[in-house]
Amino acid sequence: MNIQSPISADMRKRLDPVTLEVIRNAFPAISNEMSYDLQRTSYNMMIYEVCDYSCTLLDTNGTLISQNIGGVSHFIADMGVVIKDGIERYGLDGFAPGDVLITNHQAVAGQHLNNIVIYTPFFFEGKLTAFPAVRAHWVDIGGLSTGFGALGSTDPWSEGLQMNQLKIYEAGKPDNKLLQMIADNIRFPQAAMGDLRSQIAACRLAERRLEEVYKRYGVETINAALEVIYSETERKCRAVVETIPDGVYEADNYVDAPGAREPLVHIHVKVTVSGSDMTIDFTGTSPQTSGNNNSRTLAAAYIAYKGLTTPLEPANEGSFRALKAIVPEGCVMMAKYPAAMADWASPIPGSADAVFKALAPAIPDRIPAGHFGYMMIGRSFTGYDPRRGRSFVLQTIDGGGWGGRPTQDGPSGSVTVCQGDVRNAPIESIEQKCPVIVEARELLPDTGGPGKFRGGLGLRLQVRALEEGRWGLPPHRRNTYPPWGLWGGQLGRGGTNWVRAPEDADWKQTPIYRLPVTKGTVIRAQTTGGGGWGDPLDRDPERVLLDVLNRYISRRGAHDDYGVVITEDAQVDHKATEVLRAKMRAEAPRAQAQTDAKAAAP
Amino acid sequence: MTLKQLNVAVDIGGTFTDLLAFDAETGRIHQAKCLSTPPDFATGVLDGVHKATLNLKQVESFVHGSTVAINTAIERTGARTALIVTRGTRDVYQIARGNRPESYNILFQRAEPLAPPHLTFEVNQRTTAWGEALVPFDEAQARDVAKQVLAKNVEAIAICFLHSYQDPSDEMRMRDILRELDPVKFITMSHEIVRKSGEYERISTTTLNAYIGPRTSKYVSNLENLLEHDGFGGRLLIMQSNGGLMSADTAKRVPVAMMESGPVGGVIASAEISANLGYENSIAFDMGGTTAKTSLVHGREPAVAEGYYIGGYADGHPAMMPVVDIVEVGTGGGSIAWIDEVGALKVGPQSAGAAPGPICYRRGGTKPTVTDANVILGRIGVESFLGGEMALDREAAIAATADLGKPLGLDAVTTALSIVEIAVAKMSLAVRGVSVERGFDPRDFVMVGMGGAGPIHAVPIARQLHIPTVIIPVLPSHFSAFGMLMSDIRHDYVRTHLSALNKLDFGELKKIFAEMLGEAERMLRGERVADDAMTFQRYLDLRYEGQEFAIKVPVSEEEIASGALKTIRDRFDSIHDRSFGHAAPNEALEMVNVRLAARGIRQKLKMPVLAAGAEPKPRAIRKVCLTSADRFEDCPVYARDALAAGAEIAGPALIEEYGSTTVLFAGDRAKIAGTGEIIIQVGALQ
Repeated sequence: MNIQSPISADMRKRLDPVTLEVIRNAFPAISNEMSYDLQRTSYNMMIYEVCDYSCTLLDTNGTLISQNIGGVSHFIADMGVVIKDGIERYGLDGFAPGDVLITNHQAVAGQHLNNIVIYTPFFFEGKLTAFPAVRAHWVDIGGLSTGFGALGSTDPWSEGLQMNQLKIYEAGKPDNKLLQMIADNIRFPQAAMGDLRSQIAACRLAERRLEEVYKRYGVETINAALEVIYSETERKCRAVVETIPDGVYEADNYVDAPGAREPLVHIHVKVTVSGSDMTIDFTGTSPQTSGNNNSRTLAAAYIAYKGLTTPLEPANEGSFRALKAIVPEGCVMMAKYPAAMADWASPIPGSADAVFKALAPAIPDRIPAGHFGYMMIGRSFTGYDPRRGRSFVLQTIDGGGWGGRPTQDGPSGSVTVCQGDVRNAPIESIEQKCPVIVEARELLPDTGGPGKFRGGLGLRLQVRALEEGRWGLPPHRRNTYPPWGLWGGQLGRGGTNWVRAPEDADWKQTPIYRLPVTKGTVIRAQTTGGGGWGDPLDRDPERVLLDVLNRYISRRGAHDDYGVVITEDAQVDHKATEVLRAKMRAEAPRAQAQTDAKAAAP
Repeated sequence: MTLKQLNVAVDIGGTFTDLLAFDAETGRIHQAKCLSTPPDFATGVLDGVHKATLNLKQVESFVHGSTVAINTAIERTGARTALIVTRGTRDVYQIARGNRPESYNILFQRAEPLAPPHLTFEVNQRTTAWGEALVPFDEAQARDVAKQVLAKNVEAIAICFLHSYQDPSDEMRMRDILRELDPVKFITMSHEIVRKSGEYERISTTTLNAYIGPRTSKYVSNLENLLEHDGFGGRLLIMQSNGGLMSADTAKRVPVAMMESGPVGGVIASAEISANLGYENSIAFDMGGTTAKTSLVHGREPAVAEGYYIGGYADGHPAMMPVVDIVEVGTGGGSIAWIDEVGALKVGPQSAGAAPGPICYRRGGTKPTVTDANVILGRIGVESFLGGEMALDREAAIAATADLGKPLGLDAVTTALSIVEIAVAKMSLAVRGVSVERGFDPRDFVMVGMGGAGPIHAVPIARQLHIPTVIIPVLPSHFSAFGMLMSDIRHDYVRTHLSALNKLDFGELKKIFAEMLGEAERMLRGERVADDAMTFQRYLDLRYEGQEFAIKVPVSEEEIASGALKTIRDRFDSIHDRSFGHAAPNEALEMVNVRLAARGIRQKLKMPVLAAGAEPKPRAIRKVCLTSADRFEDCPVYARDALAAGAEIAGPALIEEYGSTTVLFAGDRAKIAGTGEIIIQVGALQ
C-alpha cells in the first residue's frame, strides 16, 4: 500500500469521523490481540514475564501501521528496516500466501541474536498488502546465547545461530530440513519451537483480522484513513514539542561497558528544539566498542521522544515523523556488522536518560532526576537439580531506583526506561522451579539520592544455592557515574554484588560475572538507587521521619543528608533540625546548578 | 409461624437503590426504586422494603449487592492495617513485580501499598516450596511481633507467609497468638483467602481483605441488625464477584470476595434468561450512564477470570479472587463527546454522570452526550422519557451539538449520528474483546441488552459483530437485581499443586479434592444449604511443560477416580486450540493448580407468563433518524407494557418503556416471548 498516494477530495469526504475512529482502533486492537495470545502461550520467561517481544503490523513499504502496547520499550518502531530488507531480498512479487520468514541477522536487525523476528505476508484479494511481524526473545539460539543473551561472545558466530531472511514455510509448506537444523543447534528446542509456534500463530491471527478489516473498508479507504491517523499522531507530538522553549540542549552520561576493553561508554546528546521540530543527535557518543554492547538502533532517541510527547498512546508511523534522530554510522548504537551485539541494549537506557537530562533546564516541571538505568539487572543461575532430575535455569529481573520528580519521590525497585511491563520472578515460583532459597528481596535504605523529592531505592536479592551451579551476576552497577540529581538533589547510591560461601565468615564483594558457586553459597545482588530532585534540606522533616519509620533512610541518613534530628521516641526535633539545617546551609552553599551530576567522568 | 415465601434482592447504585422481590407462592414480582442514601446505604435498603410494602417476616432470603467493598479500596478509606510476613519479604508488597506497565511514562508511579512499610513486620519462620519447615516458627519472636503490632493501634492485620499454600499452619499459629492478646481484631490469613502461589499477589489480596474488612463487615452487620429489627428471620446473602452468593457471615470474614458485587448480577441474569429461552450461549451487554460492560456466557457458564486488578492493571491492586470476566469501556449514556487537540471526534470516557447530566435533562449540562445525540436523532422521545416524568430539551442539545460539529464542518444531526456510531464502534470492540478475541464465534451467541442505555444500542452492535439475535429482558434497567434472585451460593477453592500430568498421582489428587470438598461442605452447611442442593465442579489448571500461563480445564469426579489421563489431555489440547489457534498434542503437560467450585443451588425466580393478546398497535408515529443524517423517517413507537406475548414488530420501530427504549432498524424483526422478553432477529449488515 502506498501511503504517499494523494488523497482525493472525494476520499476525504468518504472518511467520515466514524470510519476514521473505527480504523484508528482496529489496527492497535489486532496487534494487542497478537500480544495477548503470544504471551499466554509462550514457553520462556523472557516472553511471559519480561514481555521481551513486539507484535507489529507494517505495510509493504515497511511503514509501521501499529504496534502492541506494553512490553519492552526499546523495540519501538524498529521493525521497518527488517521488512524493507526482506522486500529488497525477495522483491514484492517474491512472497506467496502461507510464507513464513525468520530473521535475526545483525547487519540489518542490529540486536542480539536471541531476538527472532517472524513475519508473514498478508494478501488481500490476491495482492500483497501488509506484513504482520513478531519479534521475540528466545531463551537460546545456540552459541553462548542462553538466558538473557550471550555475554562474553566476541562476534556473531560465537554468539549463536544467524538466520538471514529465511523462509521456514513456503506457501504454507514447512521447510522441515531448515526447522530440524534450527532445533538441532539450540539448547532448549522444545521451548524455542513452542515460541516459534506461538509467533507464527500470532501472525496468522493477524492475517485473519486484517482480512476482516480490509474486506469491510477496502484498501483505498484504509490507506486514506491511515495517512490521516499518522498525520494526526504527528500533530499531537508537534503540539507537545511546541511547549518546549526553542534551544539547543546538551548532556553527557557515562554507562558501564561490560566485557569491553573500554571501561565506559560516553554518551553525548544534543537536543535541538525549534518550534514543533525536534532533533536528537548522538554525534559525539563513543564509537563501537571491542565488547558486545553494540547495536544498530534509533531506540534511545525514539524512547525519549515518545516519553516526552505521547507516552500513553499506541505507536505508529506518525509517532516519529516530527523527530529527526541522528545516530552516526560507526557509533556504539550504529555499529558495523560484524560488531558483537550480544549485550546490545546496555547503552540504551542511559542514552534515553541523557535526553531527559539535556531537557531538564528547558522543562523542569516534567523531568525526573537520573534513574539507575542499566539493563544488567537480570540474574541467572543454572545447574543440575538432582531432586527434580533435570537442569534448571533461574532468571529474574529486579529493578532499581528512579529519580525524584518535580512533585513526588522516585519509585523504588522498578525496571529501566527500556523495560515496561517486565515483571520479576516471584520467590515462590523461583523456588518451585530451582534448588535455591531466596532469603530476601528487600529495599536498601539510604540508596535513594537525597532530595526534596527523594530518589527511589535500589534493592537486594539474597539467594542461597541448595545445589552447586553458576551465577550470571552482572557486576556493572554504575558506581563510576551514578544517577544524577537535579536542582540540588543528590546522586543515587549503592549497587554491588556480594557473595558468601559456607566457609566464609564475612560477605565478599564480587566483580565476577560468571560465578560458579558451591552448595550453600549465598549471593546478594544489589541495585542502585535513583537521583534526588531538589535540595534535601527543603524536604519536609515529617516526610523524613516517615522515611525513617518506613526504613527508606536511616536515622544517620536523616541527620547527615537531610539535616533532620529525630528523637528517641521517633519524633522530629524541630528546633534541633532548624539549627542543624542552618549550619549545613552555611557550611556548604547549596548547589543551585541546574543539574548536579557531581561524579567526575574519566 | 409466618410462611417464608419471599426472595428479595437489593442492588445499590450510585443514584438509585433497586429492590425486587419474588413471591415463590404466587409467582409475583414486586419492585421498588428509591434514592440511594450515602453514606448510610442501609437506610435506602429499608426505604425500598417499606415502599414495596414487604413483610420482612415472610422473607426467606434477602440478597444484597453493594459497592461498599470496592469503594473502600478505591477511595482508600479502609482500616489502618498491619502486615505480617516471612523474614526477608518485608518489602515484597512495595516492590510488587517491579514492572512499569506504562512503558513510556517517565513519571509512572505504582499504587501505594494499603499496609505501609512501617506497619509491616517480619516473623522468623520459613517454609519451602515443598511444605517443609526450613526455619521453624519462632514462637517467642512472633509473640514479640504480635505485641508490637497491637501497640501500633491498628484496626486490621494481614498475615501472609511464603509458601503458606503448601502448609498454612504457621499462619494459624500467628493468628492464635494475636487472638490471645486481642480476641476481636480483624485478622486475615492468606491461605483462607487464596491457597495459590505468587507471594506478591497473595499479599495484596490478603491485605486488601484486611484493609476493607472492618468497614465492610460493619456495614453487613448493620444491615443484618436493621433487617432483624424489622422482623427479618431469613438468610441474608451477599453477591460475590464470582457471580455466586455467600452468607453474611462469610462476607464479614472475606469481604474481598464482594468487590465486584454490583455488575455481576446482570451477567448471571443474562445466563439464566437466555437459557430459559433456549440459548446456551450469550453475551451480556450492560450500558449505563458512565460505562458499558460486557461479558460472555458459554454453555450457561459465565466466563470467570481467576484474578484482576482493583483500579486497573497499570497501577491498581491485584486481587487473586475469581471474578466474572467483565470488560468495561468508558461509554455510557452520559459520556461526553469532544474534539481532541488534532480535530478528531471522540466520545467519553468523561461522563456528565447524574449531575449535571446530559444537556437535554435541563440540569445544567452543557456538553453533548450520547443521550443528547439519541434525543436529537429522535431515538429517545422528548415527551416519553421516564414515562413522561421529565420533558427533555432537544433544542438545547441541538445547539450545543451544532457548535461541537462546526470545526469539522458537520451539522448537528450528522454530529449526533457520528457520536452514536463512534460509541457503538467502541462498544463493539469491547464485545469483540470478550468473544472473537477469546476464540468464540459471535454467530453462536445471543446478546442480552440491559441497563438504561443498553436496549438503544444493542442491535447495531450485534449487527456489526454478526450476532444474529438480541434479547431485551423485562425491566432491563433493573436487571442486576434480577440476577441476584437467580444466583446460587458459590464458593471457589484453589490449591497450588505442581506435577507433570503423566506422573500425576491420582490417589493424591483425589485426597486433595476430598479435602477441598470437605471444607466446601462445611462452609455450605454453615450457610444452611441442604446436602441435596450442593453441587461441585472440579477443575485442573494445566499447561504445556515450560509455559507459564495455565488453562482451567473442567474434569469430572469419575475422570479423577479412573485416572482418565487421555480424556483430560485431549480436552486441554482442544481448549488451547480454540483459544490460541494452535495445540501441541505430543508435548508433555503440567498441572499447576487444583480447583473446586462448590454451589448451593437455590430456588430460582421464574419469570411470570405474559398473556397473549391483540396485534400490537403503535401509540405514535415519530420522525427518527436511523440511517443517514439527511433522512428522518416515520417510525412507529410502541409502548412495551401494551405488547402481548407473541406480538411481532418489524423495524424500523421504537419500543418504549419506563427506563429505556429499544431501537429496531429496517430489516430487524422483534417478537415478544411468552415471558415478556423482546427477542430480535437482527437484520443483515448493509
